[in-house]
Amino acid sequence: MTFGIPLESLQSTGRRFRFCGDLDCPDWVLAEISTLAKISSVKMKLLCAQVLRDLLGEGIDYDKVAKLTADAKFESGDIKASVAVLSFIFCSAAKHDVDSESLSSELQQLGLPKEHTMGLCKSYEDKHSALQDKLRETSLRLGRLESVSWRVDYTLGSSELREVNEPTVQLKLQAQGAESCSTETTVVSISADKFRVLLTELKQAQAMMNALQ
Amino acid sequence: MLLVLSEEHKEHLAFLPKVDTAVAAEFGRIAVEFLKKGTSPKIYEGAARKLNFPVETVQHGVEGLMFLLTESAKLMISEVDFQDSVLVLGFSEELNQVLLQLYLQHCSQIRSILSLLPPHPPAYCNLEWRLDVLLASRSLRQQVVPMVTMKLLLSTGGGNHSVRVVQTDPATLQHLITTLEAALASMKTNHARRILRNIK
Repeated sequence: MTFGIPLESLQSTGRRFRFCGDLDCPDWVLAEISTLAKISSVKMKLLCAQVLRDLLGEGIDYDKVAKLTADAKFESGDIKASVAVLSFIFCSAAKHDVDSESLSSELQQLGLPKEHTMGLCKSYEDKHSALQDKLRETSLRLGRLESVSWRVDYTLGSSELREVNEPTVQLKLQAQGAESCSTETTVVSISADKFRVLLTELKQAQAMMNALQ
Repeated sequence: MLLVLSEEHKEHLAFLPKVDTAVAAEFGRIAVEFLKKGTSPKIYEGAARKLNFPVETVQHGVEGLMFLLTESAKLMISEVDFQDSVLVLGFSEELNQVLLQLYLQHCSQIRSILSLLPPHPPAYCNLEWRLDVLLASRSLRQQVVPMVTMKLLLSTGGGNHSVRVVQTDPATLQHLITTLEAALASMKTNHARRILRNIK
């Protein structure tokens, strides 16, 4: 009795899978796919929904997950493993932009039963672009600009010169530090001429960015 | 190899035969908990009140137990040596057995805790990367320069993390990969294999 898992897939496959980025499927994924097969396909679809909520940043309800896996008598290790393998499958498939039919055929090759695969791929298809957007958002960005505030001052006089009569811009930039995770604040004051140069250059950069979109 | 206990240590442990063996076993369990999670002075006070002993005596007793366990685990002394070392204290046979069982059960756990103590150089934790193409800069337009930016997360001991950001061009990255693969392959040479075989 092999529970619908083709015997070939139980050995180290050496086959390439698109959802693994054209690499071998990791051994642990193979092992946990057989754990997934133990819950019913209806519960599987609900579990997929929970895992996707977690990946999209909406939080996972562990109590619900525990209830879904209670019938199959999953221990805490099994529950964590199922969530991990589903997270891996969804993220990896979205990362490599795999369409849902290829994913379905590859998962069935690895021994996930047809009903379970169909549930998983339907969930994947529904949330495919939302997941890719989330992954794009969390991609490495250094020193992300968080906010800009400005004010224009007019200097009337100073200790050096009685009548200065010049406008200046004060710019406050708040960005995430490249190496630290905290927000760093930079305040600069810019004279009118320098500010004009800055603005022109930035507008040229903006034109270039728009041309690329 | 025998454990040589200092006079002060023997004095501290002398508290144990004054209580029931069951209570001593409980202190043993507390000592192991403290080794895993850190000490908690409230437990000393509670125990001292219940047993009618000064707090200091209870504290020294537990600390003496903790030290006995860490020294034994550190030197990985055998069952026989542990029993002989403890014999010096002149405890009852029952108490000696309790201590022996405590040591045997928790030896490997204590050793793994002790292995966390020495300073570690920063260790690899995580790597994020991105592939960019530089198209233009303020000084030069119409460029095509690919570069890979990597954010390396390192863990220095004690749960602290440090971050390093590096940038490289694809050629250097390829060189980096080749060098690292050569390092990995050196594990498979006969010389490395012979050494690994001889380390138990």
